[in-house]
Amino acid sequence: MKKRNILGFVFAILVGLTGCEKVIDLKLDNAAPQLVIYGGLSDKVDNHLVMISKTYDFTDPNRFNAVSGAKVIVRNEEGNTIEYVEVSGGVYQSPKFRGQSGKKYTLDVTFEGKIYTASSTMPDKVPLDSLTFKDFSFFGKTSTYVAANYNDPKGVQNQYRYILTVKGKVEADAVSEDRFDDGNTIANVIFYKLDDLVSGDTIDVEFQSIDRNVYRYFYSLGQNSGGGGPPVAPANPPSNFNNKALGIFNACSTSKKTVVIK
Amino acid sequence: MPITKRFVLILLIFIGFYQFAFSQDKFTISGIVTDSGTGETLIGASVKLTGTTTVGAGTNAYGFYSLSTEEGVYELSVSFIGYKTIKQSITISKNIRQNFVLSEDNQLNEVVISAEKRDGNVSNPQMGLQKINIREINNVPVLLGERDVLKTLQLLPGIKSAGEGNSGFYVRGGSTDQNLILLDEAPVYNASHLLGFFSTFNSDAIKDVSVYKGGMPAQYGGRLASVLDIKMNDGNRKEYTAEGGLGLISSRLKVEGPIVKDKGSFMVSTRRTYLDAFLALSPDSSINGNTLYFYDVNAKANYQLDDNNTLYLSGYFGRDKLGIAEAFGFNWGNGTVTLRWNHLYSDRLFSNTSLIYSNYNYVIQNFVEDNNFEVNSSIKDFNLKQDFEYSLNNAHNLKFGVNAIHHTIAPGKLTATEASSVNATTYENRKGFELAAYLSDEWAVSDKMNLVYGLRVSGFSLLGPGSFKTYDAEGNTIGVTTYKAGEFVKNYFNLEPRISASYQLTPSSSLKTAYTRNIQNIHLMSNSTSTSPTDLYIMNSNNVKPEIADQIAAGYFRNFNDNNYEFSAELYYKWMQNQIEYRSGTDLRGNSNVEADLLYGDGRAYGIELFLKKRFGRFNGWIGYTWSRTQRQFDAINEGKWFYAKQDRTHDLSLVGIYKAGSRWSFSSVFVYNTGNAVTYPNGKYQINGRTAFYYAEKNAYRTPAYHRLDISATLEGKPGRKLQSSWSFGIYNVYNRQNAFSIDFKDNADDLSKTEVVRTTLFGIIPSVTWNFKF
Repeated sequence: MKKRNILGFVFAILVGLTGCEKVIDLKLDNAAPQLVIYGGLSDKVDNHLVMISKTYDFTDPNRFNAVSGAKVIVRNEEGNTIEYVEVSGGVYQSPKFRGQSGKKYTLDVTFEGKIYTASSTMPDKVPLDSLTFKDFSFFGKTSTYVAANYNDPKGVQNQYRYILTVKGKVEADAVSEDRFDDGNTIANVIFYKLDDLVSGDTIDVEFQSIDRNVYRYFYSLGQNSGGGGPPVAPANPPSNFNNKALGIFNACSTSKKTVVIK
Repeated sequence: MPITKRFVLILLIFIGFYQFAFSQDKFTISGIVTDSGTGETLIGASVKLTGTTTVGAGTNAYGFYSLSTEEGVYELSVSFIGYKTIKQSITISKNIRQNFVLSEDNQLNEVVISAEKRDGNVSNPQMGLQKINIREINNVPVLLGERDVLKTLQLLPGIKSAGEGNSGFYVRGGSTDQNLILLDEAPVYNASHLLGFFSTFNSDAIKDVSVYKGGMPAQYGGRLASVLDIKMNDGNRKEYTAEGGLGLISSRLKVEGPIVKDKGSFMVSTRRTYLDAFLALSPDSSINGNTLYFYDVNAKANYQLDDNNTLYLSGYFGRDKLGIAEAFGFNWGNGTVTLRWNHLYSDRLFSNTSLIYSNYNYVIQNFVEDNNFEVNSSIKDFNLKQDFEYSLNNAHNLKFGVNAIHHTIAPGKLTATEASSVNATTYENRKGFELAAYLSDEWAVSDKMNLVYGLRVSGFSLLGPGSFKTYDAEGNTIGVTTYKAGEFVKNYFNLEPRISASYQLTPSSSLKTAYTRNIQNIHLMSNSTSTSPTDLYIMNSNNVKPEIADQIAAGYFRNFNDNNYEFSAELYYKWMQNQIEYRSGTDLRGNSNVEADLLYGDGRAYGIELFLKKRFGRFNGWIGYTWSRTQRQFDAINEGKWFYAKQDRTHDLSLVGIYKAGSRWSFSSVFVYNTGNAVTYPNGKYQINGRTAFYYAEKNAYRTPAYHRLDISATLEGKPGRKLQSSWSFGIYNVYNRQNAFSIDFKDNADDLSKTEVVRTTLFGIIPSVTWNFKF
């Protein structure tokens, strides 16, 4: 458990003892739609994806607000390029290829005459060894959580991203770094309660090694959603794109484990 | 800085001139003013001589006064709010040492806020000052019956609560870390318990509370926005007494008495919460093994060696502890010790020497075996102060002194066992040294005009050992230098001129104006919207510059109806430089490169504060209203445009009413209303990896819903005349159950993921309380 969770827990007690939550109406001003670019490539031989969308009004139903007709090109340091082709609205897919660790990749998205550029360096692979389950009880209520087990390489600054999918739906998208546990065997608990699983349900964890900027983006995104801790003044997470595009370009090395509940 | 240089010169010329012109044929009357019942010294009592000329002075923080005047026969009066005035004729033909003992006057029902004398608010050149009379603080209703100095302060204009039930406060657009909070001169770094819901100040142990919102006298320095000067009780010099209370949340006990009768006394006051006692009753081991409590102890002793020498020793120790059995523990607290020596060099020269130790630390422990760890972090000060007060003549009162503070900040020591995945690490300690000297003169220019002018000179040095980085504007490291122990890493030097003037228009009205510059060399890093015990302190460095605030203020003060009604209107404008904000995604935990994530900018704050108080009678109370603005400007935030600081609140209104019905019952009520805080809300949304994310177009462009609340309380005093005196206090917080927003969150509806909803969290609805207090 990290400090943030402890503080969050204290707040949860206080809110739980006396607090009360209610859904309210709030009038929010709608800003002009902004371009959002999300995606990248990994070290897996795959059709990699870049998703391009625009922001939309807060009161609208949630959707992927696709942006079609963009030109999406990834290039490496040697100047070789790969074009991502739109396969469905706003979804741009590469031919099958794999990225290489240690290499810097640059994404250029050309849309309505403007070029949006971001770079990301693919970190060395850190394999996910296994998933284990852990129980924690807070004030008499026990919940089960999944932990990602891996060996952190010593002497290197590493950042990781964990994407937890439960029954086909992404339920947690969290990041960590090795500032406090460099070079050790790690069991990092993903704080999403797995209480209602039945036999046959699957959960999987995609485990990415990400560069510093990508880490910072997702760390900031997580701060905005609060996670029950003391409220943090929200802000747009720091994107690696120029020209005020939102989102992140992520060149990562990745591994994945799946568990079927017995 | 030619202006400040000229200022010093003028100061020296004035003092020299008056010394020369008026120092002949003067005699001095001086002494101590105390309470007849307890022997406690009285702070701010007024001593006045009326004859061919009229001279007056207030007692200082140690109850000492000194007046110089020509030979003659005078009418002497000694007065203090809530006490019977002493009036006598006195012949002054030599230097006189005369102590006065005042007895309480039970006929007066002065409300909580008291000026030192009946018309002191009009005649005193000091502005921006507010005082709380601690003896009557229990008249004001508070959350859960825990009477609280800091929460009562928040009912005054210009002082705003940092949040629902929070003891943190904002003064004139400043942030919570810009308040200098002193307990018997020792700075208290974290003045709250239980994440802000209770202040660390147990009102049983407190004698005097003064808060300066502007026009700070030159003896105070180190923070931008305000000075909260709290003085503890000395202890009863006459007899042994005990008092205490049983409340819903906590119990208190205070014991005091003479060490040697009329020579020395002690006071020990303790408080502890017992929420954890209820947890222990649970049969469930996962509940009864948890801890959640705080305690504090205030202790003080004093001894008068002889007429010219008195020693004081005071201390505060408080701690919050919370933990989950076998999972984690978390505790934090302050400790302060102040040793003081009052010495009279002559009837005119009063000296106080203070040696102060102040410490704040926190410990986090994780007991889960495979990633167990313990974090220790602290800030520790050693502080030496030498203050002099010199009564030059009937027109000039000088204060001067020096102050040296040595800071040690230990950002974190991380320890763990072999079995843990966490690595033991120690972050470099940071050491700093502050040195300040000041000189100020209170000058009665004429019968109508008073002037307080002075200068504070402050220096700060960041000291080795350690390696120190310099960052560019983007936060990239551009240099690293290693220093040995005691080497200077960086020095800053500042001049802080202070001047305030009052002009008495009529006997019951005056105009005042003030200019103040304040410097802050130590800064609290907190990127959450509320403060937390783990917030990080940093000092000036290669990257962080001293925060600077310049404030001008002007006010009109008027009393009506034989000083029964007091009115004031104060206007202020404040410029702030070198303010600190964070890049988005800044992680303050164990971050030795935190300065790479800081942004620097400017601030401005302005407003008007109106205050009307009825001071005496069965019914008394006050109305405080503030209209204000506070904004910040950072090149890297909000496209460089000015934005509202989170503590910006346009309107802030407090109504306090106290009614004494008969001899035993009293009733009181508080109503507060303020505009919501400036916050950032989404202006759109999008999806990242299939999950909803929000787009923010402008910083702090929205307001949380307006905050308002009504509290009531009733106090029943026991029958008078008994040995054991007791009283019952009943209170209701938030009578009409207003659902004030503690936070507003945006999230997808759990049942219909296509919808995003706005969720308001309310912390306190209607909450009743009862407390039993006793004294014997």
